[in-house]
Amino acid sequence: MYIIVVGGGRVGYYLLKALLNEGHEVLLIEKDPRICKTITDEMGSVCFRGDGCEAAVLAEVGTGRADMLVAVTGDDEDNLVSCQVAKHKHNVPRTIARIRNPLNAVLFKKLGIDVTVSSTDIILESIEREVPTHPLTHLLTFEDKDLALVDVKIPAGSTTIGKTVKDLDLPRESNLALIIPSEGGARTPTPATVINEGDQIIAVTTRESEDLLRAALMGA
Amino acid sequence: MEFKKVLVPVVGTEADEEAMRLACRLAKKDKGKIWSVFVVAIKRALPLDAEIESEIKKAEEILDRVESIATEEDYETETDILQAREVGPAIVDEAVERGVDLILMGIAYKQRFGQFSLGNVVPYVLKNSPCPVILYQQ
Amino acid sequence: MKILIMGCGRVGARLASLLDEDGHNVTILDTDTYSFRRLPPSFGGTALFGNGIDEEALKKAGVEDMDIFIAVTQGDNRNVMACQLARHIFNVPRVMCRIYDPLREEMYSALGLETVSPTKVMAELFRDKIKG
Repeated sequence: MYIIVVGGGRVGYYLLKALLNEGHEVLLIEKDPRICKTITDEMGSVCFRGDGCEAAVLAEVGTGRADMLVAVTGDDEDNLVSCQVAKHKHNVPRTIARIRNPLNAVLFKKLGIDVTVSSTDIILESIEREVPTHPLTHLLTFEDKDLALVDVKIPAGSTTIGKTVKDLDLPRESNLALIIPSEGGARTPTPATVINEGDQIIAVTTRESEDLLRAALMGA
Repeated sequence: MEFKKVLVPVVGTEADEEAMRLACRLAKKDKGKIWSVFVVAIKRALPLDAEIESEIKKAEEILDRVESIATEEDYETETDILQAREVGPAIVDEAVERGVDLILMGIAYKQRFGQFSLGNVVPYVLKNSPCPVILYQQ
Repeated sequence: MKILIMGCGRVGARLASLLDEDGHNVTILDTDTYSFRRLPPSFGGTALFGNGIDEEALKKAGVEDMDIFIAVTQGDNRNVMACQLARHIFNVPRVMCRIYDPLREEMYSALGLETVSPTKVMAELFRDKIKG
């Protein structure tokens, strides 16, 4: 794959390294000549000096044949524009933008950016996974299908403890995929599987029925 | 100094021819081997293995010319076309790979924006070469 | 009309005071309160501290009720993003955007923003002057 990375900060630097190691053709676009020099000295001809938001620069580096453009500068607006230019001027099939402000995910999605990555959200999600007051966490979202893979932990005191799966009032759009008991070992749930305290349940659900699913699994 | 393996990067200027003559004279004494290479720089708009016929034809003509210079000097050279994103690193990589003990390149006097300019290939080679470098400026 | 201007530089401040004189209800936003010194003492609109590419700041400035949103900060990308926020998230009927880079300006104009490239305008203006 030919992947273009815009922004040679820490994220861009390590991303470039990792993608090169995976054997992709990768090019980093960076404005700062000093950063370009450091990267070229270390990794060879994999860095282009220029503004990754400029159509002319993107044309020069052959964005037209790129499979993916990843914009990871520190500024949301620059990442947005870079992805938009790649999409609209060069028909790049997949664009990924780093965002600082998690709220921007909505706008970016509306404007056709395929994937947004927010470090704030990622950290929040790992906090949620650790903190029992947030029993439902997102593991993966399938944006185009409006589905999410979620992880629900059964806390002590849940009214569903001791019930079997078939007795749960699950919303129609939700499916239980896996139950991981606190002692470990994953099981595929059957209608007769009993819910225990500390179980970790991996389920697939639509956004809408998330709350219903949580209620069904943990009781009111 | 012994010159068992000499690399002569060429670009198609007259300076190349003089550099080639000099390489022949230097290598002859030690029965050294001379490689002349032409680097085709491939723009990012194309994949690295793209075959640009016009460039390859040009490269072949230039390499034929230096080969005939070697013959005139009663010596011989092996020729090769390299494809790379940038010329400087390609020359240095080739020198490392072949383990040459001399890079000999001819350069033409050039101006850029009204000022003398070495371009970016020569400084790169001088900075990163694994072996001695001789520049011949015409 | 209710107009929100992002960026109180020379253009933003001048535009704000002109529109204010014309009787519009003007709000102007900047990330540096020192910029508001450029507004004339007679300015009757609202000057607010805030970043126009932040949804919450825009909401605070009342973006949802605006008839027109104009982005005239120094940054092309900031202007473009703010305008797209105003348009696609807050459904402001008219959004206008300064974009220095002519190529970017053409693209966003094609994508439906009302755009002005000072670079293009100035170059053409000088050429026309020479033409006479």
